Amino acid sequence: MKPNIKMCTKNLDFYYNKFQALYNISLDFHECKATALIGPSGCGKSTYLKCLNRMNDLIPKTKVIGEVKLNNEIIYDSSLDVVSLRRKVGMVFQKPNPFPKTIFENVAYGPKINGLKNKAKLTEIVEKSLKQAAIWDEVKDRLNQNALELSGGQQQRLCIARALAVNPEVLLMDEPASALDPIATQKIEELIEKLKSKLTIIIVTHNMQQASRVSDRTAFFYMGKLIEVNDTDTLFTNPALKQTEDYITGRFG
Amino acid sequence: MDVKEKILIIVFYGASILSAAITLIILGFMVVLSFPIFSEGLFFNILTKPWSPDQGLFGLGPIIVGTLCIALLALIISFPVSLGCSFFVGILNPKGLGRHFKKFVELMTAIPTVIYGFVGIFLLVPLVREIFLKGSGLCILSASIMLAILISPTMILFFVQSFKTVPQNYLNAVDALGGNIAQKFFYVILPNTRKGIMTGIILSFGRAVGDTLIALMISGNSVAFPGSVLDSARTLTAQIALLIAADFESIEFKTLFVCGICLYIITSSGVLMARYSTKKKRHHI
Ligand SMILES: Nc1ncnc2c1ncn2[C@@H]1O[C@H](COP(=O)(O)OP(=O)(O)OP(=O)(O)O)[C@@H](O)[C@H]1O
Ligand SMILES: [Mg+2]
Repeated sequence: MKPNIKMCTKNLDFYYNKFQALYNISLDFHECKATALIGPSGCGKSTYLKCLNRMNDLIPKTKVIGEVKLNNEIIYDSSLDVVSLRRKVGMVFQKPNPFPKTIFENVAYGPKINGLKNKAKLTEIVEKSLKQAAIWDEVKDRLNQNALELSGGQQQRLCIARALAVNPEVLLMDEPASALDPIATQKIEELIEKLKSKLTIIIVTHNMQQASRVSDRTAFFYMGKLIEVNDTDTLFTNPALKQTEDYITGRFG
Repeated sequence: MDVKEKILIIVFYGASILSAAITLIILGFMVVLSFPIFSEGLFFNILTKPWSPDQGLFGLGPIIVGTLCIALLALIISFPVSLGCSFFVGILNPKGLGRHFKKFVELMTAIPTVIYGFVGIFLLVPLVREIFLKGSGLCILSASIMLAILISPTMILFFVQSFKTVPQNYLNAVDALGGNIAQKFFYVILPNTRKGIMTGIILSFGRAVGDTLIALMISGNSVAFPGSVLDSARTLTAQIALLIAADFESIEFKTLFVCGICLYIITSSGVLMARYSTKKKRHHI
């Protein structure tokens, strides 16, 4: 059975001013699967991820060439509404970044800026999102507490809940567990496993074990180029290229 | 710790103690010099009676009210304008036009007040007179508008500076959730810069209360409780400037020190109030 392509890029080049950070990247993301992006530091993983929700637009003097499609529609189109794109393609950052507001307000923020005012509906969404992010039991009695008083791992799951609250179709995660301890990391990984049933996940990670645990497909980047992409099992057990093998076995990078 | 280091520490300690002491010494000086007024039981007269030296009445009430009216109105006019400008300069367009605008605003802080006074007299006062068709145009409104222009650069620069302190993290989070720039401003930047904004307001308020020349030139200087913003009024600073030449022994002259104390109290309570309000709210932001 052919997988459904949720998102894809075709011949994508990206420039910071004159510096070319991405070269000719063509990659498909299958619906309701997790794809891991791996590669040494500075190879362009974060840059690539930010092309997918147009966060790079905010950096001056950047240039995108090539195609990025979501549900088969080009997203770098002047007629496209960036706001609705970012609602469909949520993002979780490396460092947990909850707003210095209450837990409730953090999760309710997205729906609120999309115009939802109904308090009962908001409460319902907040509860649902916190449950989805597997943090509900830990915070249900203190929704009005400042989010910064949570632990790092809890903050990260709160940020995931915040991203989920607007019902995204794709979730981009840039090293979501790199600032967390093993137990918090495990929780995030379990969460990703669970979320996959409903949405498409693209996760950047430096941790090979993590990539092999959580992802269905893995893409290896090197110096701004996509070197190899395959099913995670195949890529890790039987990489096609020597370069990939060297990296995943820890011989360089 | 070697000798050099010790000397440095003593110098710095000394400097900070000295500057703290000076403010207290000034207050003490004014209290001492206005003591005759307090001891002669004139204190309550000073707060309640009108100002009429010929009849032996030295009430400062109208002047205190005039000062507060002019300064507060200036703040009310200046705050929204400054907030808007700083939004433009700091967030909407920090690289392009906004940068030039900011340079211009920085330049504005260097213009001597007397120039603002001139502009006020020759441009603003006639305009106010024509628009409202009432009085000479030398009134609270004119003075407040001019003061608002005087203090807005301080506010704008302060606001812009504090916008820069908002962590990029938070801004990224808003963008990733599809928030637009206005939502970013109102939901994240403003709540996170409440303290900086408060400080900007206090400094500007202090400047508005403390400025002498604009009020002296434009507010009309009449000594009666103002009934509307189109009435003329006198500020404490203008009062001091107008009476400083009077002879030293008169009660009139001694009331100047009371004026000084009032100014002192008004500006310090502004600072204290703002401190208190930011402290209480810090929990939320
Ligand atoms: N804002 C920027 N301006 C200019 N160059 C940038 C910018 N951000 C990243 N780069 C450059 O683009 C290249 C790719 O950076 P990117 O952050 O995408 O790497 P990465 O794979 O995410 O690395 P890491 O694993 O360390 O996070 C790097 O050479 C980096 O120096
Ligand atoms: Mg990165």
